[in-house]
Amino acid sequence: MIAIHVGQLARKLGVHRNTVTNWINSGKLKATATVGKKYLIDKNVFRIFCREYGISENILQELIGNETVPSKGDLPFTQNLNFNSKEVTMSAKPIGSVLVVGGGIAGMQATLDLANSGYFVHLVEKSSGIGGAMAQLDKTFPTNDCAM
Amino acid sequence: MSEVVDVSGEVGNFVVKVKKNPRYIDMEKCIACGLCAQKCPRKVDDEFNLGLNQRTSAYIKYGQSVPLKYAIDGETCIYLKRGKCKACEKFCPTSAINFEDQEEIVDLNVGAVILSPGFKPFDPSGFDFYGYGKIPDVVTSLEYERLLSSGGPCMGHLVRPSDHREPKSIAWIQCVGSRNTNRCENGYCSSVCCMYAIKEALVTAEHIAGEGLKQSIFYMDIRSHGKDFDRFYESAKAKGVRFVKARPHTIEAGQDNCGVTMRYAQEDGQVMIEHFDMAVLSIGLEPTTDVKQLADIFKLDLNQYRFAKTSDFSPACSNRPGVYVAGAFQTPKAIPRAVTEASTAAVEATTALIRSRGELTQQKIYPSERSIANEEVRIGVFICSCGINISGIINVDEVARYARSLPHVVHVENNLFSCSADTQEMMAKKIVEHSLNRIIIAACTPRTHEALFQETLQETGLNPYLVEMANIRNQNAWVHQREPEMATAKAKDQVRMAIAKAALSVPIERTKVNVIPKALVIGGGVAGMQTALSLADQNFETVLLEKSDRLGGNAWKVNTTDQGEAIRPYLESLIKRVETHSNIQVLKNASVTSAKGSVGNFSGTVQVNGGQREIAYGVAVLAIGGRESRPEEYLFGQDPRVITHLDLDAMLRDDPASLKKAQSIVFIQCVGSRDERRPYCSRICCTHSVKAVIHLKGLNPKMNVYVLYRDIRTYGEREDLYRKARDLGVLFISYGPERKPAVSLDGKDLTVKTYDPILRMPISIAVDHVVLAAAMEANDSHELTELYKCAANADGFLNEAHPKLRPVDMSVDGLFVAGLCNYPKPLNETIAQAKAAAARAAVILSQTEMTLDAIKSFVTDKCDGCALCLDVCPYRAIKLENYQAANGQGHFRIATDKALCKGCGLCSATCPKGGVYVHGFTMDQLRAQVVAALEDVA
Repeated sequence: MIAIHVGQLARKLGVHRNTVTNWINSGKLKATATVGKKYLIDKNVFRIFCREYGISENILQELIGNETVPSKGDLPFTQNLNFNSKEVTMSAKPIGSVLVVGGGIAGMQATLDLANSGYFVHLVEKSSGIGGAMAQLDKTFPTNDCAM
Repeated sequence: MSEVVDVSGEVGNFVVKVKKNPRYIDMEKCIACGLCAQKCPRKVDDEFNLGLNQRTSAYIKYGQSVPLKYAIDGETCIYLKRGKCKACEKFCPTSAINFEDQEEIVDLNVGAVILSPGFKPFDPSGFDFYGYGKIPDVVTSLEYERLLSSGGPCMGHLVRPSDHREPKSIAWIQCVGSRNTNRCENGYCSSVCCMYAIKEALVTAEHIAGEGLKQSIFYMDIRSHGKDFDRFYESAKAKGVRFVKARPHTIEAGQDNCGVTMRYAQEDGQVMIEHFDMAVLSIGLEPTTDVKQLADIFKLDLNQYRFAKTSDFSPACSNRPGVYVAGAFQTPKAIPRAVTEASTAAVEATTALIRSRGELTQQKIYPSERSIANEEVRIGVFICSCGINISGIINVDEVARYARSLPHVVHVENNLFSCSADTQEMMAKKIVEHSLNRIIIAACTPRTHEALFQETLQETGLNPYLVEMANIRNQNAWVHQREPEMATAKAKDQVRMAIAKAALSVPIERTKVNVIPKALVIGGGVAGMQTALSLADQNFETVLLEKSDRLGGNAWKVNTTDQGEAIRPYLESLIKRVETHSNIQVLKNASVTSAKGSVGNFSGTVQVNGGQREIAYGVAVLAIGGRESRPEEYLFGQDPRVITHLDLDAMLRDDPASLKKAQSIVFIQCVGSRDERRPYCSRICCTHSVKAVIHLKGLNPKMNVYVLYRDIRTYGEREDLYRKARDLGVLFISYGPERKPAVSLDGKDLTVKTYDPILRMPISIAVDHVVLAAAMEANDSHELTELYKCAANADGFLNEAHPKLRPVDMSVDGLFVAGLCNYPKPLNETIAQAKAAAARAAVILSQTEMTLDAIKSFVTDKCDGCALCLDVCPYRAIKLENYQAANGQGHFRIATDKALCKGCGLCSATCPKGGVYVHGFTMDQLRAQVVAALEDVA
């Protein structure tokens, strides 16, 4: 993955920045938006794009300086442990809040753990109150505690 | 009342569109008085009680609902549907009703998403042979749960739906909508139904008075594979619950449409017809109906049963980075696993967003505390009506008048709901206005509400421990409904006692302890490594102890996970990451030799390669693992052809050719599990056996493979493996503990003899190998439980703080448990629990200091070091010290550890000379309360 600024790329290619934006918006150039008007482009995708439109691949070399793949020693992502998973990178600083969908016992526990360790949580629940299926149970074994 | 409609962006920066459906009631204004529901003329089925009774269109889900705010159901409200009514609006005392409320779309900017939409109980009305929906006395297990519940439609007095009589004989039918590919597509086991059926059967006995209650459970296999579950199962058998191995095929209505008549075939083929007063269908767990929609919005992969697809190595990660899954959305699971894996999902999210920790949260700041040392006692009394909960029985005005006449009381007030947000504001104003310095709340229980009032006091600058609650609801109005006059008199007594005690209250300081942001992880198996890695990824320094010279533990000996993923590559990469991580210090050949301190602040020594080292840490995670036991029966150790599961995995790894030649292999399950010595289920052996037999059948389809079992416990989607094994022609023959199989050596030939309950005759099998499912046992935790004063159960597995709600915390604060040492579990659950332990530990480590509750014991000068209290303290928070008295004389005296003390008061009750008290409950305060209570009597 390489990170680009629209304006910067436009200057390098000698086109107007709106042109680059149009490419991205029309899907001609596949890029994902991140914060701070930066975009992420897959290296291979960009190479193919250059070939297709007759752009010198040297530009790619120049842009590689902006690579965002974490170097050794950076915090790797947990997903990397998952062998089949795709490469995951993040350019800008992430947002320190989490959305939890579902306010049953699992959703509530996740929410509490997150909030107690320094993250803002949005908890989304479909019905008018949280509690989920566990609230409907009379008692729980083996202690026969009231589920409520 | 919201749902996700769209999502864009990627991990670290998602934009999620959330649709907020109209509630038609202003949450800010609603005080949950319930008048809207009382006046609403529209009655609809109550979905919380599964339609067993009715609610109105203006409703709350249930009494203790959070938020405790009413809502109007737009689908059924007469005004919203037909334009007339508005009864609720006329009666609402706070004008909270807002029929103009509109659906709203909000954009939320979040770094990660956790999906936990839950499950849908299976609807058995498609199974006409059970008669659900037609026969009144056939109910689902969830409906039965509501029938039992004191908050349910029959207020906890169990009656059957047809004639509202107490049922005397009840049948449970297991696996309705689970393990079934005939009339539904749910091939998986729902994992929870066996246990809830047993629980319901036992709870029923508490409801039905008198003799003659008969509970029968009709099952295929009883799957009590959790910690202490088998004990529960055995206790149910001992208490007379009948277990019948049969799958009833027809239920018909009994006489006069009451009760049921059921037909089923016994194991010997005989058809039985039996009558029951009621039948309960143990329905399974299904994905919610909108799960497909949710998966489309988030672009998630679902598996064939429409549960979220996850890898065994990262059980909370979906296929989309930054989107994590928890609860029954991933696979059917019981509460402890749902709670554990919610923490797992939380830690995955925090790891992804670590650079932004604490950026969007804020700490509440209170004004500095006002000193009341030189003030006279000025008491304010707030008497709550709790809607009509209290005022319906107790004459609150009279109690208020009485309170005014008592000494020190300068202000008395009655509130409709003392706990509502507006009352808190009002209360704060009154405290300032009248310079109150002690507050009495005569309302409900401090258990649920004391913290709220303490916060109100703090906001006005008063010490939070100057509030005293008199529980005139739970301990009075609720239990004396028939004697309103006496209840009022008792309320006066309660208020007088509270005032007497509060007059002696003094401000108490909450102790703070500094948190050392470092973790100690004991055990270098997968559980320990995964915990260490998760903590280290969150920038916490972690020390990982391993007693041997090699990381990895049992995972080296197992070939694949339950989903068939190869373990070796995962393990090797995990070890590499742990050993090279800059935040992890790995100590091999190491063990803990001493430990002291408490949560946030532990210290002690570890022994590494014979040398001693001092370390200090904030939390410790115990992941000391378990092992496969060595069987003592079936010629194990006498004939090399009798092997255990791990031996088999080694053969499959190193020498598959020799196994390929085998003509016949017998697996024997429950070898050393579920017997007197180890009365628990080892949980993982059934799945491992079916996985292995599939592998063997793949090597040589002509091989004859037999599995001798007691109950096959392939819970969850592992059931697919069991079905596949049967499809491949593997023969499963059950045996009972009273008729165990026998392995004998006849010259050179190995023979297994067992009794086939279906053929009803003994059979004998000539075999090449016998594979024993040897019990799993915990590694010896004796030294650690001694050092940390934590506990293991009778089977040697380390105990969690609460089996349902705190499944990774230990009873000692700051200690966590993960992996096999807690209970046998497959690799994916071990990984999930390890990460959950990291999540729970991170909650402590991410704080710089921790505030402890101030209700703690303290030593007075009267202590002479007799040490009687040392023995009674359940938390071992008291120790004996040399003490230099003011007059220069030295003697023994106790010292209490504020971090360990829970304020239970046992020491204070034991002490013969007033040498130790508990803050907030000193002898003077208690005496004042008792004297006040006896005032009228004397």
